[in-house]
Amino acid sequence: MADVWYLIIGNPVLNVLIALSHLLSGEFGLAIIVLTVIVRLITWPLTKRQLDSTKALQDMQPKLQELQKKYGKNQQKLQQEMMKLYKEAGVNPLGCLWPMLVQFPIWIALYKAIMKALATTPEYLLDLARRLYSWDIVNQAIPLSSKFLWLDLGQPDPYWILAIIVGGTMWLQQKMTQAPAVDPRQQSTNRMMLLMMPLMFGFLTLMFPSGLALYWAVSNIITIITQYFFTGSWGYLKFRSPFQSKPVKGK
Amino acid sequence: MKQPKIFFLVAIALLPLILVSCISGGASVSRGWAGTAFRDGIIYAGSRDGRVVAINSSTGSQNWSYPIDPPAAIYTTPIVDGDLVYVGTYSGQVYALTIARGNERWVYPRTGSIGAIVGSPVVANETIYISSSDGRVYALNTTNGDLKWKSEPLADKLWTSPTVMGDTLYVSTFDGHIYALSVDTGELLDWSFESEAGFASSPVIYEDTIFLGSFDRHLYAVKIGSDVPMWKFPQEEPTGNWFWASPIVNEGIVYAGCLDGKLYAIEAETGEKLWEFDAGDPIVSSAVLMDNLLIVTDESGTVYVFDLSVEIGDEVVPLKTISIGAAVRSSFCAQEGLVYIRGEDNWIYVVDIDKGELSWKVSLTFEE
Repeated sequence: MADVWYLIIGNPVLNVLIALSHLLSGEFGLAIIVLTVIVRLITWPLTKRQLDSTKALQDMQPKLQELQKKYGKNQQKLQQEMMKLYKEAGVNPLGCLWPMLVQFPIWIALYKAIMKALATTPEYLLDLARRLYSWDIVNQAIPLSSKFLWLDLGQPDPYWILAIIVGGTMWLQQKMTQAPAVDPRQQSTNRMMLLMMPLMFGFLTLMFPSGLALYWAVSNIITIITQYFFTGSWGYLKFRSPFQSKPVKGK
Repeated sequence: MKQPKIFFLVAIALLPLILVSCISGGASVSRGWAGTAFRDGIIYAGSRDGRVVAINSSTGSQNWSYPIDPPAAIYTTPIVDGDLVYVGTYSGQVYALTIARGNERWVYPRTGSIGAIVGSPVVANETIYISSSDGRVYALNTTNGDLKWKSEPLADKLWTSPTVMGDTLYVSTFDGHIYALSVDTGELLDWSFESEAGFASSPVIYEDTIFLGSFDRHLYAVKIGSDVPMWKFPQEEPTGNWFWASPIVNEGIVYAGCLDGKLYAIEAETGEKLWEFDAGDPIVSSAVLMDNLLIVTDESGTVYVFDLSVEIGDEVVPLKTISIGAAVRSSFCAQEGLVYIRGEDNWIYVVDIDKGELSWKVSLTFEE
């Protein structure tokens, strides 16, 4: 099973990363960034579906609020009508999960590629020998330097900067797509999700090599940018300037 | 709607947990592959649970066992010199233990670490030379462990063993350099060699030439003082993998085991291949010479013995082929017809070359 995994995902990711690194003057960090862009391009059809859903959900907000007013006291009926509306609009509220699930094997492959390519242990370096393709570009690049900006890509970021970036960008990305819930129970679930995911990934960033966290950070930033340009706005994110005057009661 | 929502929440909550388990489940743990040393009837080895062990070769019993504290992997082959045995650890410390009882004579540094030690130390002129993962070479007094000198950082990390010849120490680096240092001061000497690809194995010196393996799947011969390699083997297309193990040179012939599973015999002067033998499995450990016998192990634990006193023709057939039934990655030693190998299963295997069979074995696993 492990051999099939390496044959299909593990080894291609490892070799592409090393080849990219060689093309980018030995900068493994840049190779991770370019790989992230490539992965996001490959998963674009799924991302587009997710963005379509987000946009459709945004457009549906007035209708959803109407339903809330109409069936607010009958939760069962409200849920039925909402599902009907989602079905009519071709929206899957769980659609946002797929791009993340598809990237899951890439995360694992990337983690292993980082540990092996950077030779974080002698065992990893020896194991690397059986995973490399016979491309000159790959063999001339081994082993790679783990230094990138302030990071040692084989180790977690000791300054927590990457954890803050990963958590912050994940919160922003979720905030842009999370439609305001009409159901109070759903509101509390949404609030929990909005906090839980960034905190979890921020925590994972402190545990895993910063090369993997770099992938998460860049991937989140790409998501934010594509969401902004695709939907033409910051979505459900409401910026409130501190200089903006609050509405005065009674006026 | 309720069911999908529950599914969604469970999936999100489980995602990081699955990630952690998938990743750490397949992660490689540093367990070490310490080799064996033999002197005066005692086998010295590092165990996979981080202990230095002395075994009486007559009885197979443990004379003593010294646990590294806190526990750390051992990749270095123990070096026996005088009444001490020296070991470097992955936790970045060098230990000098008495060969009689395994008592600690000194440890360097006394507190902290100098960076993980992977390459085996070398002892010469009452000095132990160690390369470290902090990229420096350290020279310590063998008697008391006092620091004589440490070099400037030579690379990101040094995992190969240094080699001493005369008053010069040579060390190869993963970024493709061979540096020459003064053994007295650790200062860099005028000559160094630079290759496009990094070096995977430690330098071996024969006459005035350095032989070592590269990550570009070639074996290099570099004349000391020269800027260009004397030859690269193979000259054209590379071999199937890295020359991870250090080659050995005997009577003008280089014997180099490769991770592609082949043992190559190459003329030291010209780089021409004399013969090759396909073991089938990667050759990780360096070959050993015992009288006129060349002993090689592959990773699957098969020991091949070649008689170098007879001419080896086109068809290379080992004199003996013995399987120990355990994976081998460590350096091993041979003396008086017996080969002492530490398997990856944490056992010491003693192979009788004359009989062509496994003589006896002993577990290094600690039993209270």
